[in-house]
Amino acid sequence: MGIHKEQSTLVIGGGAAGIEAARILGQAGYPVVLVEKSNWLGGVLNQLASSFPRWEDPAQFVEPRVKELEKCAAVKVLLESVVSGCQKTENGYRVQIKNNHGAVEELQAGAVIIATGFDLMDLSGYGEYGHGAFPNVLNSLEFEAVLKEWSAGQKPQKAPVVAFFKCVGSRDRAKGYPYCSKICCMYTAKQAGLVKDLLPDAKSYVFYMDYRASGKEYEEFVRSVIEDKHVRYVRGRPAKVLPEDGRLLIRCEDTLMGVPVEVRADYIVLAAAIRPSQGTAEMAEMFGLHTDPYGFIEPEPFEPVKVQERVFLAGSCGFAVETLGALQQGAAAAAQAMAVLNQAD
Amino acid sequence: MNATTSPVNQYFKALQLDETDHSLSQELLQNCGIEIERCLECGKCSGGCSNAHIFDFTPRKIVQMIKVGDEERLLHMDALWCCVACQLCVDRCPSGIDIARIMDYLRERAVARGIPATRPTVELFHNLMLDQVHKIGRVSELYLILNYNLKSGQYLNNAELGPQMFIKGKLNPFPARVKKMDKVRRLFHKKPGQKGEVK
Repeated sequence: MGIHKEQSTLVIGGGAAGIEAARILGQAGYPVVLVEKSNWLGGVLNQLASSFPRWEDPAQFVEPRVKELEKCAAVKVLLESVVSGCQKTENGYRVQIKNNHGAVEELQAGAVIIATGFDLMDLSGYGEYGHGAFPNVLNSLEFEAVLKEWSAGQKPQKAPVVAFFKCVGSRDRAKGYPYCSKICCMYTAKQAGLVKDLLPDAKSYVFYMDYRASGKEYEEFVRSVIEDKHVRYVRGRPAKVLPEDGRLLIRCEDTLMGVPVEVRADYIVLAAAIRPSQGTAEMAEMFGLHTDPYGFIEPEPFEPVKVQERVFLAGSCGFAVETLGALQQGAAAAAQAMAVLNQAD
Repeated sequence: MNATTSPVNQYFKALQLDETDHSLSQELLQNCGIEIERCLECGKCSGGCSNAHIFDFTPRKIVQMIKVGDEERLLHMDALWCCVACQLCVDRCPSGIDIARIMDYLRERAVARGIPATRPTVELFHNLMLDQVHKIGRVSELYLILNYNLKSGQYLNNAELGPQMFIKGKLNPFPARVKKMDKVRRLFHKKPGQKGEVK
């Protein structure tokens, strides 16, 4: 018996879930190799202008976490690198890691944590909304960049009208996915509220079918955006976006009244469905992992993060998840990795 | 009737959200302390409404019209004059929105703007009731019914209920007067939103 800290754990993906898993393992003294394909840590959090449900700046979270990670002697971070191959061995995986310059490094890992995250659905199938055709029709991550500009002081001269469409690709059996992407209700409320905070004369409309704010403080968060920030929620799925004098005309039915409504907007933000990232698909194939029909990695029955022997998932490669959930899964995966590395027969 | 001018088609003409505003919601907040944006659109008000079966717009829709500031439709709707202020909607509302107060506010607004009630005898009833209060400080059912039936020309309206009500003591031919009539009369000079006693 005793604690074994010889074998490395491979963490694939340096977003919220990956850095949380690596940090916990590293602080416990377990050797970790964190592989991240971009040249920064923090993943999508770096693109966000604010967060729900407490309007905190994600940078305030990412920076100290990355610093803590860097302090861990046991953690080795490989940026601009990807896992290019793996072979199953007796007690784990032999893994090849390729960096940007083509150099390949080999590693024996006793546990693997997949934290490869999500992508937003490609919206070119929604011609009626004109994403790609009209420059001011953006997906929700593209609009975060606009919000960041406005937050930094580069505000538009005239207060804009911003319309948010929820469930674009989610809960859509015809052109999208049947599932609910789970986090859009909160981040859309966040974006719509932030518009009003940054530009008090701006107008925000949110077109919704219902809002699903199940989570600690989420309901209160969405209600505060409606009641205190006066964002107008219109119940109905927009049918069509038309260009009109350089603006965007939205046609929709207010399903609460049963009347058609029209509104002109300067920006349209599409809360696109969340789907597994390209990296998630690649890792699932490479490690031979179970996936659901949409490509999300499927854990074993009644297992929160265990996918198969010595392989764990964390974050939105398993399903759409908010930052807090990604951190919880990262922590759970770290704990399970420690357990498997110390398995008492 | 010309199809393009029928009320049905008018109703389904697209509402221009850009042209709507919060002013009516703001007014209700300032004058009545009602926070319209708290509405969850659940419909518990309409489900409980005692008169919804004769309304053209149910309470939930009325709240919704206030949200988009559709004042014209609100002041011309029939529901304004069939609401009996039974307060069931208020009692049921999970967000504590005083819909009965909203209806009162809208009725006052319609009268102030000279928009006639969709049901003329309702206005007569309201006026006769207020006359009674002005005269004796309370409502005497007997004289209210007599006056109402005479002036509305429906002489035998609900007459079959008279004997039963009389036996139960609901129709007193000698109604008691309120003692401090001057205080009641002063109420009639109160201005909208005015608090405290009127001098």
